[in-house]
Amino acid sequence: MKKIALLVGVCISVLIASATHLLAHHGWRWTTGNNIELIGIIKSVRLGNPHGRLSVDAEGDVWLVEVGQPWRNERAGLKPGDLAIGVEIKIIGEPSSDVKERRMKAEKIYLGGKEFILYPDRD
Amino acid sequence: MRTSRYGYATINGAHILGIALLAGSIITLDLKLLGAWPRADRMSLVRVLVPVATTGFVIVAISGSLLFSAQATEYVKLPVFQIKMGLVLAGILSAASLHLRYGPWLEMAPLDRKVYLAALSLLIWICALFAGRFIAFSAT
Repeated sequence: MKKIALLVGVCISVLIASATHLLAHHGWRWTTGNNIELIGIIKSVRLGNPHGRLSVDAEGDVWLVEVGQPWRNERAGLKPGDLAIGVEIKIIGEPSSDVKERRMKAEKIYLGGKEFILYPDRD
Repeated sequence: MRTSRYGYATINGAHILGIALLAGSIITLDLKLLGAWPRADRMSLVRVLVPVATTGFVIVAISGSLLFSAQATEYVKLPVFQIKMGLVLAGILSAASLHLRYGPWLEMAPLDRKVYLAALSLLIWICALFAGRFIAFSAT
């Protein structure tokens, strides 16, 4: 009886732990949860693990945009050289929950009218 | 490191493995030195835990250097990373002083008294671990 109770307790704990992890989804906790759209010119590019980053000049305001890791960008269809300085870019994604920061995480990227979806499961 | 998907992830995993071995063994050893498990033979524990800690440290150092190389200039500027490396250095110094004072197997440490330096070691390594974890949650 005690062994069964212990086993059930362990199983429930594991389920709760995994459920909270799924909801917590590392990488998006600092964002607002709502999408914004940013249009501007790429000013700097630094791609690669652990985070790919662009700085985008949107009408005088410089935003820091987090793009995917190389495998994610490649999966979305981006080729080396697509994200380059001087290129006009539209980004749909989630901004930082700190409104003073001009920082966002890209969900969809648009270059020359072509769409690149980094996170297909997100809205 | 910058471009590989599973290579980067594997080195990340190796870093965690090294931390598991290093922190697990050091925390256990420090608690023993502070009087835990009085009926467990200290020399036997030391003979097992010191090699495990050393192996863990080597794994941590190699994997850590590789991870660092992915964006070295960004990490160096990050306060939480600087704190972590300071703590790691402090941890190394505390380990060195324990062994310099008490011998490679701590054979010269008194068996009937607590080794209070172990409390400092414990605190340092736990804080280093958390500082390292906080890196991923800090803005660069």
